[in-house]
Amino acid sequence: MVHHKGHGRGWGRLIGLLPAVSLLTVLFLGALGFSVAQSLGYAPQYGVMSFPTNIYYVSLFKDPGFWQSLGLTFYYAITPTLIGLMISIGLSLLLAHKFPGKGAALFIYKIPMVVPYLVGVALVLILFANGGIFARILFALDIIDRPSDFPRLLQTAEGWGIMLVYLWKQVPFMTVVLYAHLLVLSREPEESALLLGANRVQILWHVTLPRLIPAIVSSSLIVFAFNFGAFEVPYILGAGYPNTLTVEAWRLFDDPDYTNRPKAMAIVTLVSVISGLCLLVYLSLYRAYERKRGRV
Amino acid sequence: MKLKNLLASAAIMAVSVYATASSAADEAAAKFREDFLSGQLSWSDVEARAKTEGEVNWFHWGGSEKLNAWIERNVVPALAAKGITLKTTRIAGTRDAVDLVLADKQSGKGVGEGSVDAIWLNGDNFYTLVQQDALFGSFADKVPNAENFFFDPADPASQLNLSDFGTPTEAREMPWSGEQYTCYIDTNRLSKSEAPRDFEGLEAWVKENPGRFTYVKPPHYIGNTFVQTALYAFGGGYEPFQKSITEFTPEEFAKLVEPGFNYLRRIEPYLLGGEKAIYPQNQAANQALYNNGEVDMACEFGLYFVSNQIESGAFSETTETLAFPESGMIKNKNFLAIPSNAPNPAAAIVFANVMAEVDLQISKLKEIGYPLGVDMAKLSEDDQARAVAAAPKHHGVTDAELAALAVADTNASLVKVIETIWGDYIERKVEMPFLQIVKGAMEKAAK
Repeated sequence: MVHHKGHGRGWGRLIGLLPAVSLLTVLFLGALGFSVAQSLGYAPQYGVMSFPTNIYYVSLFKDPGFWQSLGLTFYYAITPTLIGLMISIGLSLLLAHKFPGKGAALFIYKIPMVVPYLVGVALVLILFANGGIFARILFALDIIDRPSDFPRLLQTAEGWGIMLVYLWKQVPFMTVVLYAHLLVLSREPEESALLLGANRVQILWHVTLPRLIPAIVSSSLIVFAFNFGAFEVPYILGAGYPNTLTVEAWRLFDDPDYTNRPKAMAIVTLVSVISGLCLLVYLSLYRAYERKRGRV
Repeated sequence: MKLKNLLASAAIMAVSVYATASSAADEAAAKFREDFLSGQLSWSDVEARAKTEGEVNWFHWGGSEKLNAWIERNVVPALAAKGITLKTTRIAGTRDAVDLVLADKQSGKGVGEGSVDAIWLNGDNFYTLVQQDALFGSFADKVPNAENFFFDPADPASQLNLSDFGTPTEAREMPWSGEQYTCYIDTNRLSKSEAPRDFEGLEAWVKENPGRFTYVKPPHYIGNTFVQTALYAFGGGYEPFQKSITEFTPEEFAKLVEPGFNYLRRIEPYLLGGEKAIYPQNQAANQALYNNGEVDMACEFGLYFVSNQIESGAFSETTETLAFPESGMIKNKNFLAIPSNAPNPAAAIVFANVMAEVDLQISKLKEIGYPLGVDMAKLSEDDQARAVAAAPKHHGVTDAELAALAVADTNASLVKVIETIWGDYIERKVEMPFLQIVKGAMEKAAK
């Protein structure tokens, strides 16, 4: 890192950062601060004034439904991250080779990235609902007796619909990151491994993947954090109960009894804390790995 | 979307906490409120002040183009004749207006200073405003058109006006429209003769046709009402459910509702989705299931719902309303409420009075199929005949059948307990004796 000397430069940089930093401070830290305060019983606007209290957290921890929701939240976050990562690694390696139609492929795979999640939700509903296009096609082909006999994929706790939307949207994202990383890496280590007699699997496992690790870590980290805190996809495509923590928080927040809102804020705070902890653990494991390899 | 609401509410909350609560109340408006509520003002005083205020801000659900057009054609000119400009805010969810009122209130805005003059609402949203002490006061029985309503607590006919999903209205909101909980079937898929007529019939039918029925998930009010209807059927009718929860011991209440909840548990494996029953989140999702042919029967509020849906093409021509269940169909009204921080309180009162006018009520029934909010028996014979002639036609039932089966809504203090019990006993299947679940729900409600 090159450090620029001179106060003028430093102050200039600070002032340059000010708009972004102040926006983040007010919107992000401000909202977080209010959630934490409310979750501890500071909500005079709803007639709750028991600050500081831990009853909202304690009642959550005592509720088996909370733990079930926490488990589901992890499940919906981790499964598509891992599956998506495997697909993306394969896809990016494929794209790194020359093949006919590569130009078109490079364009097409990125399309879901610019389409909002809600459009993905709508697509999944149109295609996979028990009255959706696939159900109707199977019905027309006499494979099922009526459209509603189509296997139920949406609005169940298994979360097929949720994970499908995540994959559809996130595989292109992870592929972009991995593919860009592959492009800037030189091919020399792979070529020398080949010359030294390594086969393709060995090259992938011992040369390419370890060199891709930084990109794998950063992209999967972003995807996991998003999935963990996502709301609208599980809200629309998930089961009524049980569902993710964010949906539980919304249910409490939307209750006509506003004194439930501090409990909703306790959930929201826990979501932030837990996903923050996960990132911390993940990153420190990554650091340990890099140290072991002597790269740090 | 909901997320946007969430963010908006969070932002409003943030602002409201910052705002200083130094209430420099509009003194003239405060005096008007006091004088009007204590009956010291003549109606012409109110109308004169309304004219100087000059506008009224009405927040209403704007999801129906027919309704919006009807308002433009009929309500706007009626108010213009009184020297008042109607400013409507069309909202997707009534909760948005309630949140705005509460945010204004939190930032210290009193009568004459807020941003909402009137809200079309009922049930939960009214309950929230009552809980937060954010209503203008008992105005509905003090306007000239109050004569179109029963407001005497001693008269059982007043029940629909004095109780909003069981919350006592105390005339803090003006009845505007009425509804009845009805179920509908597609006679192409389920013939009228095979359709269930009561809950025993429903059980027999779903056992033969598993997966062909479900109901909206409580605590959504559409789902709550289905549960209440079932509890009525197995708990001796609607009368026991008019009492407040404080009049019950947990043992008594458990005894009253257990047969109904056992019924709901019994039919669950035969609902849509089978072992993992699927309860749609709201009436739109339920209608989609019905239109997709996933269920053959569905229930929601709407006396003329089926005729309106058929007319707009949203339902098949073969859809019919069902007189289900014979044990009683819950009926209630929806209202116009004035918040405690209405910026134009006199104009809001004049507005509520205009909306209760017989001509406007009949036009609403005739043109958009919204049932009368005024009470038939209070109208002149002429008006009654006009109202009967104006009503849209029913499909599969008669007015007399529907009227004969109509029963009162549940006391609101019970609704909270019932929805908690449903959550524990049906949805989460908490492994506790039923009495224990009821005790927990009652304790939670008493907090």
